[in-house]
Amino acid sequence: MKFARQAYAIVTTIVVCSLVAAALAGWKDLSVTGATSNFYGVLLLIACCAGAVGVIWLGWHCLRLAGAVTSIANQINKKISDLRLPIGDCKTEIENLHRTPNGGKSKIENINLLGETLTQWLDSCSGYIGTLENQIKDLQLQIQLSHRQKRNTEAIIYSLRDAVIVIDEFDRLLMANDAAGRLFNFDHKNAQHKPIGELVDKSKSVFIDFLRQSRCSKTEATRREIQLAQEARPRTFDCIVSCVYDQRQEVCGVVAVLHDITREKEVSQMKNDFVSHVSHELKTPLASITAYSEMLADGEADDEQTRKQFYSVIQNQAKRLNRLIEDILNISRIESGLIKVEKKPVSLTILIEEQLQMIKGYAEEKNITVITQKPIVYDQVYADRDMISQVVVNLLSNAIKYTPSGGSVTIETAVDETTGIARVTVTDTGVGIPPDEVGRIFDKFYRVDANKKQAKGTGLGLNLVKQIVEKVHNGRVFVRSQPGVGSTFGFELPLATVQMVEAT
Amino acid sequence: MTGKKVLVVDDEIHIVHVVAIKLRNNGYEVVTAENGAEAFELACQENPDIIVTDFQMPVMTGLELVQKLRQREQTKNIPVILLTARNFAISQEQQEELQISDCLSKPFSPKELLGNIEDILYHRAVNNPA
Repeated sequence: MKFARQAYAIVTTIVVCSLVAAALAGWKDLSVTGATSNFYGVLLLIACCAGAVGVIWLGWHCLRLAGAVTSIANQINKKISDLRLPIGDCKTEIENLHRTPNGGKSKIENINLLGETLTQWLDSCSGYIGTLENQIKDLQLQIQLSHRQKRNTEAIIYSLRDAVIVIDEFDRLLMANDAAGRLFNFDHKNAQHKPIGELVDKSKSVFIDFLRQSRCSKTEATRREIQLAQEARPRTFDCIVSCVYDQRQEVCGVVAVLHDITREKEVSQMKNDFVSHVSHELKTPLASITAYSEMLADGEADDEQTRKQFYSVIQNQAKRLNRLIEDILNISRIESGLIKVEKKPVSLTILIEEQLQMIKGYAEEKNITVITQKPIVYDQVYADRDMISQVVVNLLSNAIKYTPSGGSVTIETAVDETTGIARVTVTDTGVGIPPDEVGRIFDKFYRVDANKKQAKGTGLGLNLVKQIVEKVHNGRVFVRSQPGVGSTFGFELPLATVQMVEAT
Repeated sequence: MTGKKVLVVDDEIHIVHVVAIKLRNNGYEVVTAENGAEAFELACQENPDIIVTDFQMPVMTGLELVQKLRQREQTKNIPVILLTARNFAISQEQQEELQISDCLSKPFSPKELLGNIEDILYHRAVNNPA
């Protein structure tokens, strides 16, 4: 570097001197040629000076750059030397070890052994880590699976129509589904950990008592029918309570499931009523048949006239029995859709006239006037003749049956051509139906309590009317009644169209 | 046992008729009624020795009739046979409490009914000799 600086100083001096000499020589030659030549001479001198300055500036900067490069190179060199030093030390150390007899060898062996053990240990560690990682993945999968199963189970429990309640050993609510919330009037989502006694109304304490009894008894499942009011209506629940046990076999909670069996109870009651009614109704004519035939067999009928009377009773009672069985079977057939229906265009006025002739005797016997209104209009309906006859007979006989002696029964037909409907109404001056029972009057086996004493019946007649009109003929039945004044029963059927008449 | 008076009550006219013929043929005097209310009035007027009544009747049932009869001094000891088309219409306790002598279920045999009436009246005659 020092040499470079010296060289640079010499070269700079030579260049400057030669330029000055050249400039002076040039200026001297030019001054001989004239005044104009003097100007060019000065110009040349200035150019030479500028060149000299430029060379000096450039040289100076090159020199500085070279200095910087040298400094970096020196630093790199130093770093490399620093790194080499420990490597050298290590080498020396190992060499020293090699030179040391026995003790050194065993040390190396120990180190080697240690190294091998460490390697093995590291290998087993990595293997173990791999197993653990797999186990973690499995566990994560299991957690996901159990989360999903939990959600599924919750969804099942929450969507159940049966009320489900789970409480702990301190009577606090652990879980309740929507049905339970509705039954006991609490928000099942915000009721967790609240005491069950506070959530359930006192009027339903019978349920709480049952829960506590079941828990105390420690039995796996106890069952009881309990009555609870829901939406102000009494309902019957089949309540099953099961105890939940912990690892020590101590009861740690109770699960209660309440299944609403009100409808089943009603159906069961209706069935019992049916069996009771029907058996009574079947046994009554059967009792007459049995008694009269026994009398004949025992020769208790002395004369021919009495015997004829007995035969006649037996025949009539057998017919009555048959009608009753037919009624039951018809309802059953219509309900199951098995009945054979033969629809033809039928004139309602003519059909009613025929049925009135049949019922006349019964009306006269009870001293009831039957009034008919017969409009001379087209009143043909497309219907099963026998079935509609049965509807008319049932309505007429019902009206007569529930009307006190001296009353009247009016049967009318009307036709509404705009809507294409024929309407038959039977109005009586009978006992009437209480308003709260009118809605159920067409139900199977339903009989108005207050009117049961008025007349016998199976509770099948009006149901058969409804089934025939609505289910078989797509018509409509209706009733209006005022207790003590009378009732109007009626039905509507679609009028037979010209196409229907031509088709038959 | 002839000459004894029997009150037969049933809303089924044929049943009343057949029982009446059977009893008359066997020397009984028979009065008949169609329902419990009518029967009660007749029981008070006619003072029958025994009453045969149907269970289910309009206006007043057979059971209501017996209850009314038992409340009245004049009629409280009249033996009653209940005819019923329903099984288990009344319980054993009710039968004992109302002193109902016998329950016959429909369909019944007139011969059996006659036999029962004779038995009851015979036992009464033996136990309470007038």
